[in-house]
Amino acid sequence: MARRQNLTGWLFASPVVIGLLVFTGYPFLASLYLSFCEYDIFNPPTWVGLNNYRILFTRDPLFWTSLKNVLYYTVFAVPMGITFGVALAMLLDAKIKGISVYRTIFFLPSIVPVVATSVLWLWLLNPRIGLVNTLLRLTGVAGPTWLGDPAWSKPSLIFMGVWGVGGSMIIYLAGLKDIPVTLYEAALVDGASTWQRIRHVTLPMITPVIFFNLVMGLIGSFQYFTQAFIMTGGGPLDSTLFYALHLFYQAFMYLKMGYASAMAWVLFVIVVAVTAVVFKTQGRWVHYGR
Amino acid sequence: MDAEARARLTPVGMALLVARIASVAAAVAVALWLYLGYTPPKRSSYPGREKVIFWHMWTSNWAEVINNICRRFNESQERYEVVPLTVCGGSLKTLIATAGGDPPDCMGQWETVIPAWAERGALTPLDELMEPGDWARLRDKMYPAVREIGTYKGHFYGLATGMNIWACYYRPSHFKEAGFDPDKFPKTLEELDAIAEKLYRYDKNNNITRIGFTPWGLSHWIALFGGTLFDYDRNELSICHPRNIDALAWMAGYSNKYGYDRVLQFQAGLPSTMEASWPFMSGAYSIVVDGQWRIQQIFEYMPNLDYRTAPIPPPAGGKENACWSNGNFMIIPSGAKNKKGALEFMSFWSGVSDPARAAEFYTWGGWLPITPDVANAPIYQEYIRKFPEFKTFVDIMSSPNVQVTPPTPVQAYLMHRLGWAEDAARREVMSPKAALETIRDEVDRELKNTRVSLKPAS
Amino acid sequence: MQKHSFYTRLAIHAVLIILAVPFTMPLIWMISTSLKTKEQIFPNEVVTSISGFLAEWRPSPVRWANYAEGLRYVPFPLYLRNTLMLCAFNVTGAVLSSALVAYAFAKLQWRGRKLIFSIVIATMILPGQVTMIPTFALYRWLGWYGTYLPMIVPAFLGNAFFIFLLRQFFMTIPDDLCDAARIDGCSEWGIFWRMMLPLAKPALATCALFQFLGTWNDFNGPLIYLNDQNKYTLAYGLQQFLGSYGSEWALLMAATTVFTIPIIILFFLAQRTFIQGIATTGSKG
Repeated sequence: MARRQNLTGWLFASPVVIGLLVFTGYPFLASLYLSFCEYDIFNPPTWVGLNNYRILFTRDPLFWTSLKNVLYYTVFAVPMGITFGVALAMLLDAKIKGISVYRTIFFLPSIVPVVATSVLWLWLLNPRIGLVNTLLRLTGVAGPTWLGDPAWSKPSLIFMGVWGVGGSMIIYLAGLKDIPVTLYEAALVDGASTWQRIRHVTLPMITPVIFFNLVMGLIGSFQYFTQAFIMTGGGPLDSTLFYALHLFYQAFMYLKMGYASAMAWVLFVIVVAVTAVVFKTQGRWVHYGR
Repeated sequence: MDAEARARLTPVGMALLVARIASVAAAVAVALWLYLGYTPPKRSSYPGREKVIFWHMWTSNWAEVINNICRRFNESQERYEVVPLTVCGGSLKTLIATAGGDPPDCMGQWETVIPAWAERGALTPLDELMEPGDWARLRDKMYPAVREIGTYKGHFYGLATGMNIWACYYRPSHFKEAGFDPDKFPKTLEELDAIAEKLYRYDKNNNITRIGFTPWGLSHWIALFGGTLFDYDRNELSICHPRNIDALAWMAGYSNKYGYDRVLQFQAGLPSTMEASWPFMSGAYSIVVDGQWRIQQIFEYMPNLDYRTAPIPPPAGGKENACWSNGNFMIIPSGAKNKKGALEFMSFWSGVSDPARAAEFYTWGGWLPITPDVANAPIYQEYIRKFPEFKTFVDIMSSPNVQVTPPTPVQAYLMHRLGWAEDAARREVMSPKAALETIRDEVDRELKNTRVSLKPAS
Repeated sequence: MQKHSFYTRLAIHAVLIILAVPFTMPLIWMISTSLKTKEQIFPNEVVTSISGFLAEWRPSPVRWANYAEGLRYVPFPLYLRNTLMLCAFNVTGAVLSSALVAYAFAKLQWRGRKLIFSIVIATMILPGQVTMIPTFALYRWLGWYGTYLPMIVPAFLGNAFFIFLLRQFFMTIPDDLCDAARIDGCSEWGIFWRMMLPLAKPALATCALFQFLGTWNDFNGPLIYLNDQNKYTLAYGLQQFLGSYGSEWALLMAATTVFTIPIIILFFLAQRTFIQGIATTGSKG
């Protein structure tokens, strides 16, 4: 019986097992090997032991800058994204006219190509002619230069990140739709208020989805790259030089793929540790239906 | 869930599921049919010829100019066929394809790749690929900056297709309004500073409404101040050359005088690619430093704009007709399959083989040529007569004071950090000297780290 | 759930409308830019009022020719065909294979389950930039360089993001339900196909949507693996407007509008069918 179960399990999992063996495994391990090599992309890699890691921790101040930047981003963007995403999904779960139109609107930033949204934001945040500073000016406040100001560049990008919350909003929505109506009915019979229903029925029931978005949010923001690459290129004064951006420059501009691989594996260890801790807390707050 | 609920669910759920799978299957079938039933247009017009795979970075109507040059080449001879392909997204694809052993035969790239790729043996030395006589002739003819920028450790790797030169654009009407003679553009930087001050305009809240002049791009000012980032005699970087510090200090002086944030508030933070709204055209600037390509843009968007151009004036003790220059280069990867064909195409385009013929291509793009032969060709001279302001740039091309990015294997890193130093000094978070010293140390460290990569210890 | 009172509904509308303003901007801006002449796109004048700002969003004169010109540069039907072909394969492949694997992680007991799950999560944690070159080398070795295969085949072998998402959804389904079915003599395949998939439909639809959007917008795949302009996809084709030497914003936005509007309509319809449809049928607990 147990053997049969094992076999069934492996059979159902076989696509991903084959995928790991054939496509994912080799590049994954190859990058680990490369992190111990000097590899300039054009010539075969040569083994240098721990040299890349040594340089990383002792001779590259930008490594620490980029790590700090990405931590800053993660610490703010992930909780804000979850709070806003859950709240928005709950509003969009309401049974009112035109709700599908609202849902579509809040998902728009996730549909429109990044190139278009980036240019839009460059314009909105433009210190002189942008909407944000125009509004501030009307209220008598002189706005900062946003992406041009080392103090405001990261908050600007975080704000844009929260604006692009549509993807996780959809996932929360799917989670909300999964909550059995009977639970709400039972709560109503018990005379629970709206807030109590949210607190004791809705939130606990979507914890598996919140957990998912928390883990994916962490993984995603540690690799935050695209908007910074398109809009700021790491500036001003390295204030938006995020880890993945520094890594990309090392790999494809400075041709230090071995070094970039070492950077990637350091990030990997950090994020695996963070993720493992999050998984460990699962038992305390995530409610699966058993 | 009770049994009743399950029974209720199953038929509806199944129906939906079947409908979904059916629609997906239909989509797959349609897609398969579209895919299999579609014959793509023939790509090769010359089946019997040797192919020359050419990857470049030009897009939209620029790509059509490139396609025309390729077509001309294919018609001009009977041995090769150039197959052009626009490659977006920087050099990512090129690097990956080269690493995978499948590079194109010839590529258009920015000059920054030359030292870095050449150092790693990824480029074919053109001086060895060419017939010795051809090479000697070309070497003597090229503009000095073109030769310098393509050369790394004694070999020549990149043939420019178009160079960029920077000069001052200015508005005569602003000059007149402020009481200056537009025919007498300042001859020294000190005069420029004085005139600029009178050209600034402010509103009642003391916000800037027009910029007289504000400097950017440290590399240009290093050239004008007589500094240099590379000591060619000693073959090493000279980031902290005293004149480099002077140049940066002068730039920081502008921030001090006019306020960095105030200028930034005024300057649109939009990408410079938005050519139609170049602020100079709308009168937001009286004097700006910019490249020769603006001439065609002004012609396209504001043909009646009254403007002039002039070389950037040097400071006392500086260099005349100076600026930093860069450009688009044709390179041949070491792993290219058809190097001779690639060279033939490059010579055709850049006018090594027939300057008069190539001159026409350069007028299509409004590009600066690499040899005076192309510039002196009748068709190019006619172009200059049509755009008289363009002459300023062509004249600067032959100046010995035009500087190029230093030939160091860490060029991309150097340029990135140089931008940081300029930013730091102009924001006055650091003295110009300290900023340059900071990046000198960083670049030194990077060089050491990179040397390790070339000659691994033990 | 009970029907909201009139005032509650009014309040929800008010909040949503206010919140919606910044979210409608990309669409409005995209369409407005697509109809502008080059000179209007990035105005230089400082505006001092909201109405002044709104005026900047209104194209005048309206230039419909951007659409004709924008579509001239990109062979739209051909690229649409290529894109839809990739989408069809990827959506089918990724959703089905990921659901299978997720079921194994959520509801089956087998040795190695935890390990494989951890590895699947771990594959998402390593930044993709450093696996690009080995991955390319692998596909080239397989002879797939220059074909669609590197963009199709992996989709059939599970997508880590979807596997994790679907696992979370399967986990919320009580084990008792599966056990009851097993006692009734139902095979694992039967449980998966007839019980799990219908119950997880919102999640499956979400995965299908994400995969569709991912493939539709994919830029790196075509960039790295395709060398033939006839094989390009729409997302990559659109990049032809963005160059190192100046960008045609109006044309780009015209083409982007044509590229995006069908997806918005599709999303509008799909969320109706799937997300709302499930509320009436999806009851468990």
